[in-house]
Amino acid sequence: MNAALGQGGVILGVAASLGGVATLAVALRQRRLHLIAVGRSYALLALLGAVVAVAAMERALITRDFTVQYVADTGSHKTPALYNVATLWAALEGSLLLWVLVLTGYIALVVHRFRRRLNDPLVGWALLTMLVVSSFFFLLLLFPANPFHTFDPPPGFDGPGPNPLLQNHPLMAFHPPMLYLGIVGFTVPFAFAVAALATGRVGEGWLLETRRWTLFAWGFLTVGIVLGAWWSYEVLNWGGYWGWDPVENAVLLPWLTGTAYLHSVMVQERRGMLRVWNLSLLCATFSLTILATFLTRSGVIASVHSFTESDIGVWLLSFFGLIVAATLGLIGWRGDRLRAPGRIDSPLSREGAFLANNVLFAGFAFVVLLGTVFPLIVEAINGDQLSVGAPYFERMTMPIGITLLFLMAVAPVLPWRKASGELLAQRLFWPAWVGTVAVVVAVLLGAHGLAPLLAFGLGGFAAGSALRQLVLAARRQGWRGVVGRTNGGMVVHLGVVLIAVALAASSSYDTERELTMDVDDSATVAGHEITYVGPRTVEEPNKTSIRARVSIDGHVYEPAINRFGEGETAVGTPAVATSPTRDVYLALLQVPDEDNGGRIVLRVVVQPLVLWLWIGGAVMLIGTVLAAFPGRRRRPIAPVSEPPRAITGARVPARSNGDGEAGRADDAPVEVPT
Amino acid sequence: MTRTRLIGWLAMAAVLVVALALGVADDGGPRTPEERARNLAETIACPACDGQSVAESDAAASRGIRTLIAERIDQGASDDAIRDELVATWGESILLTPDSSGVGGLVWVLPVVGLVLALAGVGYVFWRWRGMAAVHASEADRELVDRTLAPLSRARGEDP
Amino acid sequence: MTAPVTPESAAPDPLDDDVAEAPPRPRTGLIVSAVVAVLAIGFVAVLATREPATDRRRESPLVGKVVPPLAGETLGGGNFDIDGQQGRWVVVNFFATWCVPCRIEHPELDAFEREHRRTGDAVLVSVLFDDDPASARTFFERNGGDWPVVLDSDGLIASAFGTPKVPESYLVTPGGRVAAKFTGGVTRDGLDRAIDQFEQAAADPGAP
Repeated sequence: MNAALGQGGVILGVAASLGGVATLAVALRQRRLHLIAVGRSYALLALLGAVVAVAAMERALITRDFTVQYVADTGSHKTPALYNVATLWAALEGSLLLWVLVLTGYIALVVHRFRRRLNDPLVGWALLTMLVVSSFFFLLLLFPANPFHTFDPPPGFDGPGPNPLLQNHPLMAFHPPMLYLGIVGFTVPFAFAVAALATGRVGEGWLLETRRWTLFAWGFLTVGIVLGAWWSYEVLNWGGYWGWDPVENAVLLPWLTGTAYLHSVMVQERRGMLRVWNLSLLCATFSLTILATFLTRSGVIASVHSFTESDIGVWLLSFFGLIVAATLGLIGWRGDRLRAPGRIDSPLSREGAFLANNVLFAGFAFVVLLGTVFPLIVEAINGDQLSVGAPYFERMTMPIGITLLFLMAVAPVLPWRKASGELLAQRLFWPAWVGTVAVVVAVLLGAHGLAPLLAFGLGGFAAGSALRQLVLAARRQGWRGVVGRTNGGMVVHLGVVLIAVALAASSSYDTERELTMDVDDSATVAGHEITYVGPRTVEEPNKTSIRARVSIDGHVYEPAINRFGEGETAVGTPAVATSPTRDVYLALLQVPDEDNGGRIVLRVVVQPLVLWLWIGGAVMLIGTVLAAFPGRRRRPIAPVSEPPRAITGARVPARSNGDGEAGRADDAPVEVPT
Repeated sequence: MTRTRLIGWLAMAAVLVVALALGVADDGGPRTPEERARNLAETIACPACDGQSVAESDAAASRGIRTLIAERIDQGASDDAIRDELVATWGESILLTPDSSGVGGLVWVLPVVGLVLALAGVGYVFWRWRGMAAVHASEADRELVDRTLAPLSRARGEDP
Repeated sequence: MTAPVTPESAAPDPLDDDVAEAPPRPRTGLIVSAVVAVLAIGFVAVLATREPATDRRRESPLVGKVVPPLAGETLGGGNFDIDGQQGRWVVVNFFATWCVPCRIEHPELDAFEREHRRTGDAVLVSVLFDDDPASARTFFERNGGDWPVVLDSDGLIASAFGTPKVPESYLVTPGGRVAAKFTGGVTRDGLDRAIDQFEQAAADPGAP
């Protein structure tokens, strides 16, 4: 029943998406613009299809309906409720269901948001683009990755449950949905970018309209990445949070280009410049999300995160090729004619800083992409096998990160157009002192090494700059001083500084020891007294947990090795003693058993400031939300290619009636003296 | 710049130089054989797992390589000698940082080339912008604007 | 009117049909797109032609080289040293009792060992990989087999051979060089065929 229902939902989704694509194509081709509004019904039907399919799958999972192949493969009576619900995204097919649900949800929101402008070809093109994307993903669910194949379970059948790593920590319930909300969310600005290119209306306000969509997608992606790092830290038993694994890199790529876009779009809003570059960034971001999906799901790159292999790779790669070809074609065809006039007067200006920011983020993305796919490229060239791993990425991205911190410090105080040295010396004075004090404090606390000290100093500098902006804004505007794009952006900067400092400290000043301990043995690691108290075994319905009771400075923690079911590999679960200044991470490498008299092998990792990574992530989230609130800022300049009616429009005479519509203060130049 | 501010900046520079000198003097290189072994292990790929280093993984193969590294360091081998020995048994793919020679060197060179190209591109754009005379409104432009605005001004009941 | 108005600032819609009259526009966008397109095609081609990561076989760099040192205590309490086996073919097998393909290949290895113990031209030695001796002892009691099993508690032998996973086997020539590496289990026939091939090749150097 669930299988049939789900299959029905998927078919509805396919039909509605394809129908919508056809209708909109006809509407735009024949300029029958009233037809665009019909696209709305298709979008809502596609959403209905996705909801039905996801509901059917969740129902099958919750009721353990093993007649559905996906449930037979990944469900189990023993899996606890939370993880059972999360099993939807524990394997390839189910995760695509979540994908279409999020995608059609976004499409429906777009349709709702622009319901009054559904006769605008630009909205039509955007809707068409999004429906093409949703057609593709629904087709994946219908053909290569169909989760609703049926299965004939023998009596007493129980599935194996999800991958042990995915039922080991509650963060698994939140990290993937956040990531999907982010990754899929970039479809919306991408669709509008395609629409702008297709219609040639680049300079108009659609950019402002989609800015907030981009911001939300970016915010979700940020949270998703931070949660992923946290999950990795709490589950993977190796004491780290970021391994430069291909799949981690694949998700970082769209984040980097998206971040570049969020900055450079301000130049376009303010100065009308960089339009084609911004469109390119949006197209690159979306293409990279598809590439990320390909790398994660095709099995072409070995990674701890890889899904099981399937022939879905061909589909995703073809779609990636199609997207790249289409966007490059559009940009090549339209790009040169859409270029804005104007110039950046001085490199030492806000727009100059944004340009530098973009060069750095693009360079960052290039390094990450190159390192990730380089082994494949070399193999294709001469058949050699080689690896590119964390040390490469750390060495290459560290200088970029340091330079970005420096820019973060200087850019917020730069005025648009042109800055004088005098002005900088005055505005940067206190932020620079904050940075200097940070270095001094770090040295006094025993920090050493150039790179981490630079990170602390420039981090302090950037934080000082952001705080300066926030304090000035709050003094001027009261509580509104922390909302709006600029001020919210500064809060995001503070979060980034926290993360940068925590990254530098935890990776530079970590201590790691591997201890072989009998019961009652003690050892001292980085000033912490570690004592092995004794073993303990806990039976849970879905797992057997063999734990070692270990005390750190008198408090007992229980790192464990869990066995899920018969014949499954054992999965280590670390225990972490967290404090604001340092984390002590315990990973059990060898279980205590009778054979070895309860002896354990324990890995102890002591890293400073790890907690601030997660706090920094939370601050970034808060900043993103604040930035999404409309702040009290002037209306951006009228876009350069706004239709002439805006100039000669009927708005001005209406004002002269003196009917009390006071022009906003920043419109002052046109205000009529009364 | 006022005198006090200048003095403030100079004082800051002095403090910064002293603090950095103190912090960097202690160069943070490996101090113990264990630290050296760990630094080396971080650059060796775990052969049995995907994308982890030998230092992070507790696969049997990684444990073996860690033991081997510790033993070789004990015997006084250099980092390069140990890496060469590992390459001889496991192949080039055991190194997480490709050699800077041969095709593998491209991974180090390409980003630098990209950076130079990007900087050159930005420099070129600024150079072109500089050459581009700032647009000033000419008499004809003003006339056009006046003519366009004339009806509006009349609508407001102003003198044209 | 001879207004020196630039087309960009005057034309509200830059895609008006009279574009042809406009002065030649820069073509950088087109050029950049074309370059990126070429790179993208190459990139997609590389991705499309890659085998799945799990199917990628890695040739052992050891093939053709002198066999790494293999010596140590055996399960039976004796000692084994591969240097003492010169003049005979040696099959070095890495295994663990928790590994399913190892259990599958065990009878094949047993048959191979019995056969060649009789002829005396080849010996089999196993190396215990990431497993405890007690389980290995039980495993051999239950499944039969009587050949030296070298303990490798610190994994040094495995890392000297470059063995990441089990089962893996190496064929070592009578001259003490690694002739071949087998991953994922061996069969008696497969081993015999490999030995025959190498012997023929050695006897007839002209053959490929």
